[in-house]
Amino acid sequence: MSRLGAAAAAAAALAALGAPLLLGRGTLNDLWNLAFAVILASSWNILGGFAGQVSLGYSAFLGIGAYTTVLLSLRGLDPFATLVPGALLAAVFSVVVGLPGFRLRGPYFTIATIGVGEAVRVAASSVSFTGGSSGVRMPAGSFDFGRNYLAMVGLAIAAVAVAALVRRSAFGRALAAIRQDVDGAEALGVDSTRYKLAAHALSAALVALAGGLYAINFQYIAPGAVFDFRLSLSIVLMPIVGGIGTIVGPLLGALVVSTIQLKLLELPALRDSYLFIYGGLLIVVILFEPKGLVGLAGRLLAALRRASAPPRTAGAG
Amino acid sequence: MTRLLTVAVNSLLAAGLYAEMAYGLAVIYGVMRIINLAHAGIMMLGAYVTLTLFSRFGVDPFLAFFLVGPLFLAFGMALYRTVVRRLPRGGGAPTMGSLLLLFGVWLVLQNFAYLVWSGDTQSILTSYTMRSVSLLGVRVGVPSLLVFAASGASLLFLNLLLRTTYLGKAIRAVTQNRDAALLAGIDAEMISAVAFGLGCAFAGVAGGMLSTLYAFTPDFGRSFLLKSFCIIVLGGMESVTGVAAGALVLAVVENTLAVYTSVPISFQDAITFAILFAALVALPEGLSGLFARAPRLRGAR
Repeated sequence: MSRLGAAAAAAAALAALGAPLLLGRGTLNDLWNLAFAVILASSWNILGGFAGQVSLGYSAFLGIGAYTTVLLSLRGLDPFATLVPGALLAAVFSVVVGLPGFRLRGPYFTIATIGVGEAVRVAASSVSFTGGSSGVRMPAGSFDFGRNYLAMVGLAIAAVAVAALVRRSAFGRALAAIRQDVDGAEALGVDSTRYKLAAHALSAALVALAGGLYAINFQYIAPGAVFDFRLSLSIVLMPIVGGIGTIVGPLLGALVVSTIQLKLLELPALRDSYLFIYGGLLIVVILFEPKGLVGLAGRLLAALRRASAPPRTAGAG
Repeated sequence: MTRLLTVAVNSLLAAGLYAEMAYGLAVIYGVMRIINLAHAGIMMLGAYVTLTLFSRFGVDPFLAFFLVGPLFLAFGMALYRTVVRRLPRGGGAPTMGSLLLLFGVWLVLQNFAYLVWSGDTQSILTSYTMRSVSLLGVRVGVPSLLVFAASGASLLFLNLLLRTTYLGKAIRAVTQNRDAALLAGIDAEMISAVAFGLGCAFAGVAGGMLSTLYAFTPDFGRSFLLKSFCIIVLGGMESVTGVAAGALVLAVVENTLAVYTSVPISFQDAITFAILFAALVALPEGLSGLFARAPRLRGAR
């Protein structure tokens, strides 16, 4: 990231953290949602974007984080202290799924992850300690929106920072090598399974943290909400719309998708059309600009530069 | 003994349905190396079209297949011409882009169904829906029998088509080796469109079959997509017999667990998924790989 980009990012982070001093509750709620979306999109992007392993089962990790927080809080733990076990559990689960799952390549892995998401949702609705399909409620008296807001925004900043650090590190370069050519990476001595597992675990842990904070703020969770396939879908949609494999892309995508969710879909005329919008977005992006908004911006900039540059004389020299 | 017979009969009946839905996925994969993630959406649409034909026009669901099949053939070809064709080709392996694109198509189809038919649970009740007959001492529902007969007939028809007609031979040729087929003068683009249409036709008819057995909503079909995928992984992606074998294996495992253990029915997806993982890890070449490996081992000795 350029120095200018880093300065802009720091300014945005400070503004988001200072927002409660100036803005009303409604706007802060929207910002809380945006921060939640940013965490999901940026974390998914570590495996899906950097390493090119597209998973449609991330609601499983979100749900594990949310359930761990509620169930441990009900046993008397401080809600914020439950975040760590939730993240660890999700990371362990990601490895359990990944060990057989990463034997599959590309689209085969993706299909298998649909199965993971479904299996976890069904399991959570069938067993008794999760409260079954009717869900569970947080213990009373643990709600403080100001604290929840700062925690979510802080985690969003941390998630973006982690993604940026990963991308610049040797770890990130190994993931990029896996994305570009997994056989080539193996031939150069990159243990692709181990790197994929590490990326999976890291992103799963971040998503589970967000799931825990979600539960703390919403106070009530049910399998239909936190293990929903639609959630997995919007987690994937955000980085793809914004620009898969970049740092800024998931932020833009989170902004677009959460705006659609909060503003557009609140309109009565559009309430029943969100699958049209999501599916249509996916089709349009894949067909016309697979690099998403970041790719589109790059093309526009290049076009502008070409238009403003003085035309070269042909055949000079 | 009766339990064994129950498993055998129910597995066979389920396998017919499974083969029908898995073949739609297999033919598209074979010709284009694309995994049709919209498969579940097309099955769902097939169920609703069958429902509409039944409730509005009084067409028996099993006769409706003669309309649903051609209709979805045309729909699939149109979908190929308008959307799928524009995808960049990934060579040998299916691309992420194709998967996500068809995922988008699936979502759009779902939303379409919500708008047209609402999100309410629907089912088709004919005069014979609740009727059952005794087969080898096992009670089986009449619709299950009819589904088995219909899918057997359509797979036979397909086999005939693939073996005897030019079109069928061309489809098999492109499946085996696209470049060689192009060199032999086969219009691979046209064959791809037909194969996509054929895949959608099978998915649509399979959806119609499901509608005679189960209640459905626009969200329906995800676990059947997973089953179809499991079957083509087991059976290999190319041949009709392979698909049938994979369908039988899945059906036998499911029914055995249902009859002999107390695994709740809601865990079926998890079971399918476990079989899928086991198959992928233990048999990367599918069941046919197992058979192909046996003579090689013998030869080595």
